[in-house]
Amino acid sequence: MTASGRAERVEPHPRAGRAVSWLLILVPLALIALCFAGKYGVVELGPGARGTLIFALLFALMVTGMPVSIALGLSVLTFLFTLTQVPVEAVALKLFTGIESFEIMAIPFFILAGNFLTHGGVARRMIVFATAMVGHWYGGLALAGVIACALFAAVSGSSPATVVAIGSILLPAMVKQGFPNRFGAGVITTSGSLGILIPPSIPMVIYAVATNSSVGKLFIAGIVPGIMLATLLGFTTWRIAYKNDYPRLPKASWAERLRAFFNAFWGLLLIVIVVGGIYGGVFTPTEAAAMSAVYSFIVAVFVYRDLKLRDVPGVLLASANLSAMLLYIITNAVLFSFLMTHENIPQALANWMTSQGLGWIEFLLVVNILLLLAGNVMEPSSIILIMAPILFPVAIKLGIDPIHFGILITVNMEVGLCHPPVGLNLYVASGIAKMGITELTVAVWPWLLTMLCFLVLVTYVPEISLWLPRVLGML
Amino acid sequence: MLLRILDRLEETLIAFLMGAATLIIFCAIAQRYAVGVPALYPYAIGFDLTWAQELCIYMFVWMCKFGAAYGVRTGIHVGVDVFINLLGVEPRRSVILFGLLAGAVFTAVVGSLGAYLVWHIGQIGQVSQDLEAPMWLVYLCVPLGSYLMCFRFLQVAYAFKQTGELPSHDHAVVKGLEEQANLTARAS
Repeated sequence: MTASGRAERVEPHPRAGRAVSWLLILVPLALIALCFAGKYGVVELGPGARGTLIFALLFALMVTGMPVSIALGLSVLTFLFTLTQVPVEAVALKLFTGIESFEIMAIPFFILAGNFLTHGGVARRMIVFATAMVGHWYGGLALAGVIACALFAAVSGSSPATVVAIGSILLPAMVKQGFPNRFGAGVITTSGSLGILIPPSIPMVIYAVATNSSVGKLFIAGIVPGIMLATLLGFTTWRIAYKNDYPRLPKASWAERLRAFFNAFWGLLLIVIVVGGIYGGVFTPTEAAAMSAVYSFIVAVFVYRDLKLRDVPGVLLASANLSAMLLYIITNAVLFSFLMTHENIPQALANWMTSQGLGWIEFLLVVNILLLLAGNVMEPSSIILIMAPILFPVAIKLGIDPIHFGILITVNMEVGLCHPPVGLNLYVASGIAKMGITELTVAVWPWLLTMLCFLVLVTYVPEISLWLPRVLGML
Repeated sequence: MLLRILDRLEETLIAFLMGAATLIIFCAIAQRYAVGVPALYPYAIGFDLTWAQELCIYMFVWMCKFGAAYGVRTGIHVGVDVFINLLGVEPRRSVILFGLLAGAVFTAVVGSLGAYLVWHIGQIGQVSQDLEAPMWLVYLCVPLGSYLMCFRFLQVAYAFKQTGELPSHDHAVVKGLEEQANLTARAS
């Protein structure tokens, strides 16, 4: 049960540690006791106190390190049971019907599709293709790394897996060519997170599920910001390489480029199938996900032959494991979101904001800071599932477009994956590059700064996200 | 021995549900498009696959409940562990045990709620929309999966108490990396 992957343990004063651990255990128990006290009329809880109690309980349970899904479920169940009149049967039914929608089923299908293609062979094909295209520019291999990361992350659907796959193939080659280790590690760590903006993206599906938005529109809206961010990261890479005169590769001939393209083509076609299929109205998003799962099975087993048929059950099991985890959080988050609506918390928040004279500019600033802070300690899906039901109604009331809001949350999640102290990409990359977290934090700085600037841009220029869907007539 | 059979059963069930649901939806889409092609029409029209969507949803819900139990065993359920990792070994251990036991309590409560629901719906005799399957059978995954998950939490807690080790899931497994790295090294 680790979000941070590896713990850097500091040994504190033993007695202080024991006191803190008792505090961590007793505070949630005390809050639960308070709920029961409210039920039997021992204490009177006003609407403000009720709202605070939910969040206090959720927070107290989460800092004990228990699974996010369990913390969500326990706090909602305790609250519903003690302080509301909602019948218990309705709660039990919600635990089943919460994920009883065909839209949500896109998540397991996309995970399966990604897992079939999460293979070193696919990573190498992407790298060879990217190198053939941009290898002759300054910082050739590093630039190729940005592009290969973007493509592989989009296809595999996992940022940490991208860092491992592209990193372990590309980093040794870069060091051998004379790039500093830090430079390579910085590029790969940040570029690895590009995938969640480029469709198919699981965090986007989760946002769509949590807010009842359209998966198709979000996917199309992610394309322009995704390409923009990849270009910006590439530009940062190029500038540093240009200033330090890092090595370039000989220019590839068009025949080589064509061959590299054909090798990578089958993997890249997955993106085309998903985007084209949904946009063309051939499939619903969930059907597109199922098609891409079948397609990537065929490509992995019969075209690329990276996987043998006997490896398939293992891939199915791993995908089922990850999907079940996400679906389980969703089940509990649905209950949480039901509770939020039941207690009118988003409304109260929106009213408070308007009464304070705060507009969308201030609101989005607060949202960004909140999400970046949450990104320190939690992984993207949990953050989206907890935050979206609270923030989304407020955003709508302030006139923010739901699609724009979704894209800005997704970019936020990307930044969260690679900033210290607990970005998952950082930990994975530190293992591959054999670098400490502190050193790597310094190494990712130029690219992280680029991402933060881009986040501000996406936040305050809605057209970046909305232009393409509007031109295509989807809005 | 009995435990190992249970482990296998759990793994086989969720892997099967994953694969089968994918195939069913694929067939439903293929059938829908085959009906549109004149040459294939007579073969395709004979199949009525309108129930595919509902079946897929139910299969995935079952996969979710049992997969969540399997996930406890593989340590895939992530939590916020930044703060407890700052504690010393002994205090950290007691907080983690508390978390695991809280998981067991929650799943036991949910399992009991689910059992009550199944019994309640069994009395009414409600059936599902397309498949006309009895709903109590469909909802049976809530008590079964939750009780199994409760058992897994207790199992992990016991093992943790004994050995001090938690199962942990590696989110960054990529197959076939070594051979590819060798290939690239040889090429350059």
